Amino acid sequence: MILDVTFWAFAALAVFSGWRVFRADSMVRAAYWLLVSFAAVGVILVLMKAQFLGLILILMMGGEMTIMAVFMVAFMMNPAGLNPMTMVHRNRVAIVAGVVSFLAIAALGLFARFPTAPAPGGVDPTRKLGVELLGDSMLVFQTAGVTLLATMIAAIAISSARGRFGNADEGSVEPVQLVAADAGDEPGEEGPR
Amino acid sequence: MSALGVIVAVLSVAVAAAVGVYIAAWVDIVLARAVAGVAVRPLEALVAPLSWGAAAALKARTTTERPDAETWALAPALLAALAAVGLAAVPLAPGLLAADVANGIVLFGAAMALVVVAVFLQGWSPNSPLPMIGGYRFIAEGLSYEIPLAVVLIAAALPARSLAIAPIVLSQENLWNVVRQPLGLPLYLMAALGLAFWGPLALPEGEDLAGGSSLEVSGVSRILWRIAQLMILVAVSAMGAAVFLGGWLGPLLPGAAWMIAKTLVLLVLLVGARHLVARVPTERYVIASWAILIPLSLLDVFIAGIQALVAAR
Repeated sequence: MILDVTFWAFAALAVFSGWRVFRADSMVRAAYWLLVSFAAVGVILVLMKAQFLGLILILMMGGEMTIMAVFMVAFMMNPAGLNPMTMVHRNRVAIVAGVVSFLAIAALGLFARFPTAPAPGGVDPTRKLGVELLGDSMLVFQTAGVTLLATMIAAIAISSARGRFGNADEGSVEPVQLVAADAGDEPGEEGPR
Repeated sequence: MSALGVIVAVLSVAVAAAVGVYIAAWVDIVLARAVAGVAVRPLEALVAPLSWGAAAALKARTTTERPDAETWALAPALLAALAAVGLAAVPLAPGLLAADVANGIVLFGAAMALVVVAVFLQGWSPNSPLPMIGGYRFIAEGLSYEIPLAVVLIAAALPARSLAIAPIVLSQENLWNVVRQPLGLPLYLMAALGLAFWGPLALPEGEDLAGGSSLEVSGVSRILWRIAQLMILVAVSAMGAAVFLGGWLGPLLPGAAWMIAKTLVLLVLLVGARHLVARVPTERYVIASWAILIPLSLLDVFIAGIQALVAAR
C-alpha cells in the first residue's frame, strides 16, 4: 500500500517535472527540473529493489545536470541564463516526434509481456544486472573505465590554461624572436620565420 | 526495525543536527577568540550564536532586481535537507540508524554530490554578478573535492566488503581505518572542507567576491544558510568518525558516547581549520587537487584493494 502510493507519487513527479523542463523559462531551471525528474526515477529504481542503481543515478545526475546548465548558459547569447526565454523550437517536428515516441512507448507498455509474479526474495538485482550486462567481460570493462579516466585527465591537461610553455593565453609570443636574440645574431638580421 | 526504533532514529537525526550545529557555532567563536589572543570567555560564547542570529533576523531582508525567488528560497532548504540525509545514513550506535540501507555510503555520497546544486542556486538566483561568480566557482572546483571524497569513502568500504555503514564500522574492530589507510582521513577532511565551503576552502563565498554566493542574502535566509552549512560540517564529521575512527567501537563507555566524542573531535578539527589555515585561491586549490589529492586518493584505494586481496587469501 505505502509502496504503491510512493511509486505513483514519484511517477507523477517524474512526469510533471519532465513537462516543466519544456515550460521553464531559463536554462538553469530547465536543467534542474530535469534533475528532479531523474531523482524521482531514481527513487522508483530504489522501490524496485535496485537501490544501488537508483542512488547512483541521483549521485551522477546532480553533477551532470549542473554541468549541463553551465554549458547551456555558456553557449547561449543570454549569458546569465536568467532572462526569460522559450525552451521549445521547431514546434511541428517536435510535436510529431513527441507523439510518435509516446505511441511507441505506450505500445511497449501495453503489448510487452511483463512478469506477473513478484520477484523472489533474497535476490540482489544490482548484482544480477551487473553479471547480465558484463558477464565475463568485467576485466574489459574495468580496463575501458581506467582508459576513459586517463583520457579525461589527459583532455584536462591538454585544455588547461597552464601548459609546459606557460599560460595558453600568452601562447602567441613568437619564439623565433627570442631565438634570434639569444643566438647572438647580427642586429637587424631577420630570424628564421 | 520497529516503528519506535524508526521514530527514535529520526528524532536522533534532528537532535544531532541541532546540537551539532550549535556546538560548531560555539567552537567557531571560542577558537576565533583563542587564535586572536583575546579572552575566550566560553560561557559568553555560548550566547554569541544566538545574538548573531537575533541581529541577523532583525535586519531588513534585501532583495535584488528580478531574482529567481523560488530557487533562491529553495537553496538553504535543499542544503539542510541534504545534510540531514547524510546524517541519517550514519549510525549513532548499533541499530540506531534512521536510513538503514544496504548502500549507506552511496546514499551519503549522493546527498553530498547534490550540495553543488544548492550552492550554485544560492549564487545564481539573486541575478547579481558576484554571487553568480561564486556559484560558478563552486562548480569549477566541484570535482576537486568530490573525487577524493568519493574515492576515500570507497577505500574505507573495501575492507568491510559492504557499502552499508554498520559493517564498515564493525570491520574496524581490530584496527581503525585511520591507521589501516593512513591517507584516508586527511584526504577526507580536506575534501570535507571543500564540500562545506568552509574556512580555507570557503571559495564560493570568498572575501575576494565580497561574500560571493551569499553576498545578497540577508535576514532569516542568511541564518538558515549558515545553519545548513554547519549541518553539512556535522554530517561529514559524523561520517568520518564512523568510517575512519571506528564509530561506536571503544572500551568502557557506551557506543553512542564514543560516536559523539569522535564526531566532536573531527568537528573541532574542521571548524578550527577556518582559524588556523590560510584561505587557498581557487586555481591553486584545483591544481593541487588534480595534481596531488586525486592521485593520493587513488593510491589510497589501491593500498586498500591490495590489503583486501591479502586479507582474502
